[in-house]
Amino acid sequence: MTQILEVRGARRVFKTPEGGTVAALDGVDLDVGQNEFVTLLGPSGCGKTTLLRSISGFEQLDSGALMLEGKDIGRMPAFRRPVNTVFQSYALFSHMTVERNVAYSLEVAGASKQEQKILAGEALEMVGLSGTGSRMPSQLSGGQRQRVALARAIVARPKLLLLDEPLSALDRRLRQKMQIELKALQSELGIAFVFVTHDQEEALTMSDRIVVMRGGQIEQCGAPRDIFRKPRTKFVAEFIGDTNLFETTIECVHGGRILALTREGTKIWLSEETKLAKGDAATVVIRPTDLQVQDAHSSCGFRGKITRVIYLGTDLHYYVQPAVGGQELLVVSRTDGSRRAPGDEVTLTYRPERAHVVEDC
Amino acid sequence: MKYLRRLPLSAMLLTFYSLLFFAFIYAPLALIVTYSFNANPVNMMVWDGFTLDWYRIILGLKDRPVDIVNSSSAYLDSTDQLLEALRNSLIIATSTTTISTVIGTSAAIALARFRFRMRGFYRGLMMMPMTMPDIVLGIGLLIFFVSAGAKLGLTTIIIGHCTFLTSYVFIIVQARMAGLDPALEEASADLGANEWLTFRKVLLPQLMPGIAGGAMLAFIISMDDLVITYFISGTDSTTLPVFIFSMVRRGVKPEINAIATLIILVSIIIAAVGLWLRARRKD
Ligand SMILES: Nc1ncnc2c1ncn2[C@@H]1O[C@H](COP(=O)(O)OP(=O)(O)OP(=O)(O)O)[C@@H](O)[C@H]1O
Ligand SMILES: [Mg+2]
Repeated sequence: MTQILEVRGARRVFKTPEGGTVAALDGVDLDVGQNEFVTLLGPSGCGKTTLLRSISGFEQLDSGALMLEGKDIGRMPAFRRPVNTVFQSYALFSHMTVERNVAYSLEVAGASKQEQKILAGEALEMVGLSGTGSRMPSQLSGGQRQRVALARAIVARPKLLLLDEPLSALDRRLRQKMQIELKALQSELGIAFVFVTHDQEEALTMSDRIVVMRGGQIEQCGAPRDIFRKPRTKFVAEFIGDTNLFETTIECVHGGRILALTREGTKIWLSEETKLAKGDAATVVIRPTDLQVQDAHSSCGFRGKITRVIYLGTDLHYYVQPAVGGQELLVVSRTDGSRRAPGDEVTLTYRPERAHVVEDC
Repeated sequence: MKYLRRLPLSAMLLTFYSLLFFAFIYAPLALIVTYSFNANPVNMMVWDGFTLDWYRIILGLKDRPVDIVNSSSAYLDSTDQLLEALRNSLIIATSTTTISTVIGTSAAIALARFRFRMRGFYRGLMMMPMTMPDIVLGIGLLIFFVSAGAKLGLTTIIIGHCTFLTSYVFIIVQARMAGLDPALEEASADLGANEWLTFRKVLLPQLMPGIAGGAMLAFIISMDDLVITYFISGTDSTTLPVFIFSMVRRGVKPEINAIATLIILVSIIIAAVGLWLRARRKD
């Protein structure tokens, strides 16, 4: 895939008012392919906004390179970059009608009035807002303003669209609706999207690729499935979805099979390639959905007692206290199986390929 | 009355208080307007029948009664003088409004948008003239102009007014600026507008209520200023307030009431037009 955007070794250090320094970006490499939906995901303060603002030109990198379609744009002023942004606060021009807002980029580029009208109308139709062109932004609901901001950013067909938590101000239902619409719009337009969020569910639903950031660096980058199934580090595993972590020591490694022992002495079988050897410490991840609740007499797995059952519509959450001690385990299963009650003795089983070793940092 | 009786005591007290408050504000104005139609030339406290003579006199449509012209209480030397003072006031107010609006607005934008050393200090400097007592400013300006060898006249009044009116505009525009989302300008740049276009199409329209408010205030204060103008106006550059003040010093006479009434009328018309324009823009 040809790359539309390449970020190489991006660094940006801020001076804090207290006199210290913060590396908001600390050597970030990022590629975005044509028509790719990339999500930047990470906890607050990890540098997502700074990275986005560096791409749009509102923030200058201290060092590193920024290439758009192979051209260096690192020194280009923001207004010349063929990149548009959807702002978190929408930043609609309150003194202009919706139509003029949407047509703004065409207007400043010197397009004719007629052309502005036609293209703005098309963009508004795309976001499902045709007929509202003559209103003022203050006469729209939050969700509608969001769509106007989107229409305004896509009307001139930028090479790349940047979105900084555009859905965070919307309620849950509207947000889910917009997630689907945004994704559809993106494939329809064929524009690459770089989307910032700190909502992992949002990232998993929408992205072609997720970039997990932490402390100004990229922790892991990959397809949603890989990020979820094969988190590289403990941080990623814990950030993306609920997880059960086991601190273990490797007991033996043999041809893609690993046997790890928890501190309490429980055996965990894994089926994956590893550089680890006998005696190494390893953190093992098993997702709550990968554990099955079985009757107590089942052969191998984690013995324990159910402490809590939480009913969540389609899912049931079981909290299980292992018999050997240690942390409570979470199991998520479908409601349509057999129900168990708190106090039941159970065994939790898993498939070895669903257990995964992560780096311990 | 039925309605009044049903009101609780607190509401009745509040109504009474508001009536008193408005009476306090508007009674003197009402008095002036009434007196301006009083035919009694000697004691205006005594009603002597309705007349429009005072208006005719200040507008030069009628000569003043001989006995008044000859008496020592003649004070309105000529309508020409009054009109001259009014013309001066308008020239001064218009120029100072223009100049101080431009300077005050640019200063507010610069201080809000650019980071440089001693911003706080500059901000303080911009606000200072407003907090200074008029009399101090007046004397200061007078000493400055005299020692600089400037001839006192319209120019010195305009410069003098600009020194403190700029602060008023600055403060109002700055407040508007502070409430502005910086993302608006970024959005404009993001959509391809250079700095000039962003200024013209986004920043200026967004600041317009503040700028217009500041300009209006500057105009009113400039038209109204007596103390500072008194110090720095030359002998042949009288403004309306200075002119009226010197008239009053020779005794309050009916013509003053007529002038005051006309000023009130003009103010009301301006305010009404302003409100009307605003209401019309809303829909
Ligand atoms: N203008 C600035 N001056 C000083 N420090 C800054 C500035 N902008 C950002 N930072 C710091 O840089 C770091 C990264 O900030 P950034 O806004 O990129 O985080 P983020 O990932 O977008 O977080 P959030 O999810 O809360 O929006 C933070 O520690 C922040 O305090
Ligand atoms: Mg952010």
